Amino acid sequence: MNGGSHSEFLVGAGCVAIWESCWIGHELYGKYGANLSRKVKNKEIIVEDYSHMEPEFRFAAAAAGAPFSVTQTALGTDIHNPEYDMLGRAGLRDGQRIGKQKYQFMDDPFFGAGQQVLCPAAKVDIAVLAVQQVGEEGTVRVAGQYYADPEVARAADITIVMAEEIVPEEYLRREADRNTVPSFEVDYILECPFGAHPSGMFGRYDVDGAFLKDFYTNTRTQEGFDAFAKEWIHGHDHMSYLEKLGWPRMLTLRANTALNYSTSVKRGE
Amino acid sequence: MSMKKDYASPDEYGLADLLCCAAARDVRDNEVVFAGTGLPMVAIMLAQKTHAPNLKLIFEAGSIGALPLELPTSVGDARCEVGASVASGLHDTFSIAQRGEVDLGYLGGAEVDEYGNVNCTVIGDYLDPDLRLTGSGGSPDINSFAKRTVFIMLHERRFTTNVSYITSPGWRLKKWPGGEWVHRRELYGSAFRGGPSAVISTAGVFRFDEETGRMYLDTCHPGHSPNEINDLCQFELDISRVNGETVPPTREDLHFIHDVLDPEQLFIPKVKKG
Repeated sequence: MNGGSHSEFLVGAGCVAIWESCWIGHELYGKYGANLSRKVKNKEIIVEDYSHMEPEFRFAAAAAGAPFSVTQTALGTDIHNPEYDMLGRAGLRDGQRIGKQKYQFMDDPFFGAGQQVLCPAAKVDIAVLAVQQVGEEGTVRVAGQYYADPEVARAADITIVMAEEIVPEEYLRREADRNTVPSFEVDYILECPFGAHPSGMFGRYDVDGAFLKDFYTNTRTQEGFDAFAKEWIHGHDHMSYLEKLGWPRMLTLRANTALNYSTSVKRGE
Repeated sequence: MSMKKDYASPDEYGLADLLCCAAARDVRDNEVVFAGTGLPMVAIMLAQKTHAPNLKLIFEAGSIGALPLELPTSVGDARCEVGASVASGLHDTFSIAQRGEVDLGYLGGAEVDEYGNVNCTVIGDYLDPDLRLTGSGGSPDINSFAKRTVFIMLHERRFTTNVSYITSPGWRLKKWPGGEWVHRRELYGSAFRGGPSAVISTAGVFRFDEETGRMYLDTCHPGHSPNEINDLCQFELDISRVNGETVPPTREDLHFIHDVLDPEQLFIPKVKKG
């Protein structure tokens, strides 16, 4: 699954031993994930590369209780180079949570459609979702694009939902067709307004580009990351983080309710 | 009857304008187009404003058939949903691609080889890299399944004999597990629908011979000669089919780019006339 600024925080803080994914960066606000890049160079982290479709379908397989996904994507690329099976090289393919192989090829046995790629289901221990609304019993309503939320929530053994607001369950059940994840697939909920900052949240607030640009620029070294963590992470709870961010900045990021994004944020230089 | 186009003079546009307009011209009306972040988005939205008003725009994170009013800064931006037919998720957008419904993909990259294999994963040896880049994102997925894919990238030091890592599939590829080179058609079976159709670099526009899989120079950007562009490539570039200069932007194109699509200069800087 695509990483992003949220993954860069965890990687920089040394919380990630294996990063199995396809992309990390800050889009417009930083060319690549400098923390991951540094740790790859120093061999402090194992990276297992897939395409973006592969992890998505691996989550879907796990969500359906199936052992593997089937796609035809990325054929012929180095993503399928057997030399680059990094979990295999590290001796971690135990067939428990991590599949015995990175992938396996199979010719379509039904219609002769050619080579297919089988990838192991992505068996997830814990999923954390950042969403707009969750009901008191766990029903999730995502507004806008929902990425991989439904598959990941179902695939995970434990699903934690951090929502902009906790709303009465009954309110969400009035229009069940607008909901994204059923209540019993969610194990923990917490209310965490502006919880996705410095990323954006559809209909709520925009991406904080200036924050990300600073993060990217200042955390290219471990010392830089540690200074960032000291300033923004350690010793803070969520409210003191928001207090530090300040109302003027949050109001600038706040989404226009008709357009679902901010019309006052300055996105360029 | 065709109207004479109002082309801008060289001091009125920059390289990014030229690339954007060259890319936009590869879009045909009514096509289903899959967009990556950055210049590709501006190019597609420019086509949407000019000659391809009925194109269907897909953003990877789940926005399908979108008509953004403002330029998104990522495929997950809330601006992607405006006017969309459906807002859903990754499973839908990649299924649409594998199903064969995508005509054209627009992507970027760090390195490209003679067969259109693109790298955006590492520079140097994968197992001991000089620099780890973003990784694939949806590039191989879009490029595996779209009928045509256009890459927009810098030229200098990027056109290499062997890319450090094949992230996104070109016309000649490695058949695993052995790694022998085969034509794309042999690998993709019934999912074969085409491949990279153009690379638009800061030096020129390049296209591919679909049988040999080899890249050839199509047009040179103003100020570049075929021989000079060949010298900028590590491999011997086919310059036997050059089709003149890259067509410059029109004043209408520049109006849309700078006054409508990217007034904040997120991806395309304005040229300062002096």
